[in-house]
Amino acid sequence: MEFPTEVIGDKGYIHITGDLDSEVAGEALRSAFNQVYSQGTRTIVLDLSGAQIINSYGIGKVLSCYQQLQAQRGVLMVKPLEGFVKETFELLMLDKLLPVDK
Amino acid sequence: MTSAQPSILVADSDERRQGALRALCQAKGWGCQVVSDASEFQQLVEAGTFDLVIADVEMPGLDYKVLLGHACRRKPSQLLVVVGDAKGSETSLRMVRSNDTDLIARPVDLDWVERCMEQATLSKRQETREQLAHSFVVSERTEMRFSCKQLGEAQAITLPIVARLVASRRLSDNDARKIRLAVQEALLNAFEHGNLELDSRWKEERLGETDRFSAVRKERLADPKFANRMVSVTSWFDGEVVEIVVKDQGGGFSPTRLREIKKNDLSCFGRGLTLMTNAVDEVRFSSGGTEVTLVKRLAATRST
Repeated sequence: MEFPTEVIGDKGYIHITGDLDSEVAGEALRSAFNQVYSQGTRTIVLDLSGAQIINSYGIGKVLSCYQQLQAQRGVLMVKPLEGFVKETFELLMLDKLLPVDK
Repeated sequence: MTSAQPSILVADSDERRQGALRALCQAKGWGCQVVSDASEFQQLVEAGTFDLVIADVEMPGLDYKVLLGHACRRKPSQLLVVVGDAKGSETSLRMVRSNDTDLIARPVDLDWVERCMEQATLSKRQETREQLAHSFVVSERTEMRFSCKQLGEAQAITLPIVARLVASRRLSDNDARKIRLAVQEALLNAFEHGNLELDSRWKEERLGETDRFSAVRKERLADPKFANRMVSVTSWFDGEVVEIVVKDQGGGFSPTRLREIKKNDLSCFGRGLTLMTNAVDEVRFSSGGTEVTLVKRLAATRST
């Protein structure tokens, strides 16, 4: 499994095209993140529209990316969240943590 | 176009291919909708009413990420075929590798499309038969067992019982997602904290390039004492309630209070139990914490 990435201007985008609920998916996110991060991009946007489920493992991976960027004065953003993924972020009170890239 | 008539959605700006595919559909009694506008394609494909979707990945304006997203969400019976160049562009190859999608090279071989149509017809018939059969099931019980080694290599586990309840429209897609989430959390607990005896707090202890949790996890998956321990998942449906029991062979744990969820908490662990208890109607721990039962009542039987 791999997630497509792209860099447009000063923002890097990671398109999550499957559920973030397994180690395989978590490692795919980490690999995509490292790919964008290694290009020097410090504003990274997660597009979670292709995911229907995110579990605690996936949330942990997202927060690990958030912490890494924060330590470098960077920012992890999200495209507007939808559906069950949005419900999960709200339940865990993380929906206001990540700025939204509209 | 009636719902009984199989139908195809073609996203292609090449008029010759459009005409050839239209003629083939007419000859085979299929409904055919051709679009050359990417936004119209996106609306139609998301509606998910087509049995077969053929999309030229190079069509102007067609965002391949839309195709990737659709490939992840489509019904199992719906076929998605991507038209690419002979060698396969990086984009189209990536789609095929990651999403169980067929790739057809230009020029499009109509015999090949015809075989895809036959396959889609068979899938649709099978789905209809299964829907009907499963709507009559009064009770069902299945048991699956996995070793830690297998779980370490597996992607998410889907329970057949849940898939069948969705197919027979007795369980909504949203409730199925909630069950799947709860099961994933229970499996993770059974596998990592039960059988591998890992401590979540190790996730935040860095050890060079990795963390202590990942390092010990890897060690224990290579140690037969831990790797051969089993996790069993027993699913039971009695017509009104789905019960799923996840059991491990670890030392057990004490399910104390749920961790309090705090706003903007950056910890990378400790949310599994919260997600599990919110996803189903009831969570019960037993056998010294080596067994967890997840209970989900079907919407029609849930008391209000």
